[in-house]
Amino acid sequence: MEIVFAYIDPGSGSLLIQGLIAAMVAVPIFFRHQIARAVSAIRGKSSTEPVAAPASDETTTTPPQA
Amino acid sequence: VSSQEAEPPARRDPGSYRDPSGFVYRRDGVIYRQIQSSFAPDWDHFISSGLYDSLVRSGDLIAHEEVDAALASEPPAYRVIRPDPLELITYPYEWAFSQLKDAALLTLRVQGAAMEAGMTLRDASAYNVQFRAGRPVLIDSLSFERSVPGRPWLPYRQFCEHFLAPLALMARVDIRLGGMQRQHLEGIPLELAARLLPRRTRFSLSLGPHIHLHARAQRTSTSEERAAQAGEQRREGGMSPSRLATLIESLRSTVEGLHWEPKGTVWADYAENTSYDDVATAAKSSAVSAALRAAGGQRAWDLGANTGRYSRLAAAEGYRVVAMDIDPAAVERAYQAVRAEGGTAITPLLADLTDPSPALGWGGAERRGLLERIETDVILALALVHHLAIGANVPLPMIAALFARLAPHAVVEFVPKEDAMVQRLLASREDVFDDYTSAGFESAFARHFETVSVTPIEGSVRTLYHFRRSAGSAGG
Repeated sequence: MEIVFAYIDPGSGSLLIQGLIAAMVAVPIFFRHQIARAVSAIRGKSSTEPVAAPASDETTTTPPQA
Repeated sequence: VSSQEAEPPARRDPGSYRDPSGFVYRRDGVIYRQIQSSFAPDWDHFISSGLYDSLVRSGDLIAHEEVDAALASEPPAYRVIRPDPLELITYPYEWAFSQLKDAALLTLRVQGAAMEAGMTLRDASAYNVQFRAGRPVLIDSLSFERSVPGRPWLPYRQFCEHFLAPLALMARVDIRLGGMQRQHLEGIPLELAARLLPRRTRFSLSLGPHIHLHARAQRTSTSEERAAQAGEQRREGGMSPSRLATLIESLRSTVEGLHWEPKGTVWADYAENTSYDDVATAAKSSAVSAALRAAGGQRAWDLGANTGRYSRLAAAEGYRVVAMDIDPAAVERAYQAVRAEGGTAITPLLADLTDPSPALGWGGAERRGLLERIETDVILALALVHHLAIGANVPLPMIAALFARLAPHAVVEFVPKEDAMVQRLLASREDVFDDYTSAGFESAFARHFETVSVTPIEGSVRTLYHFRRSAGSAGG
């Protein structure tokens, strides 16, 4: 599709690098997700209450990884 | 004030020229936005997808009313809309740290909502955000286009230059670097931000990629070959929707991770640091309220508002208030209070009365000067005049003349030399202020104003004056 309305200059460097940056930052986001899951799992095990820890809700709201 | 024209012509906003798909103009004092037919498919999708409705409902986007296309400034127009009017336009260099941060988060939140509706932001300019009752709101309804799968986020660079770079510099180097925005209207160049930020931020997983690596990529992407590659990327791209979502999420957590605590500036603890005791504070408050009631206005500018104590008083008297101060910490606190209360009619503003924001940009008209934007019934100048007269060497007649230019009513506190705060200002310098007396103050203001009331503030040596501009004065 023709881009007629991109009236700002996105900058060639910014276009070329953002895929790589998105891949890079996916790593910490992935680990945050995993840590949150681990924490909720540990809490879930050590807790005497059978209810799921609230942290588990948060993990479901993290966006998908690349 | 001179000639009255029957049909005032449409006048295009001098800051609205970049985007060929539409522009803002003013007719009869009312703001309109013309949408060109070339933009019709995107505009229709924006409305029919429900994105417009949901953003207006959440308060993130300014609402508009569609009006007769015959009202177009330069026909033919596809549509003409009349956006809800705003009390005051402010610019990013006049915002507290948290205002810029909230504006950044708003932009990313809106991008998230747009992606869900199959659209994307076309720009991420900080000038597209304004503040309404303590909340940021996107004012550019033409910022949305249908997204093309695989295409990178075109406003990525603009977002980093308009939001991330200044926020990072303020949080990680010095809050005063926010003032750089006044010089860089197109955003702070990333390689400049990269040079100024502490070395260790290169290794952070947030500022590292978005500022440092990003700046490096711009430097190495000037060759023709790279430009051609980028052009291809822009059209085709290799940016899957999930990767784009990751980029936006990373920007969000980077912005969230930037903090600045309002302390360590000259004024941060000023309110707690005055010579006022509880009796005097109560006396001053009731005198200010009485003067505001007597003035009978609707809009007030609180000059030197500090954290906004008396702005809140004015708001309680039914005024819509601009709480202006020179200190980033004071404005930060004022904003945080307004935000916490929600819906308060107070607009915090970071500005220096001795050096108000000038008119800037193309033709010197794109961003208006601060003094031109002041439209108010009353100015409040409490515990301010001694800072101007003694702290900044501005003669009293010049202070009175400026106040007369700004508003028909002025509520002004005079703090005499005997006062401890003035003694502190004079402690390290020669007292060259022979005219700084009650008599000198009164005669300076008598040139422009009539005195409505004079109230000595009980428990202090200070006096509160309520002035009404005389008919023949400069401002009238």
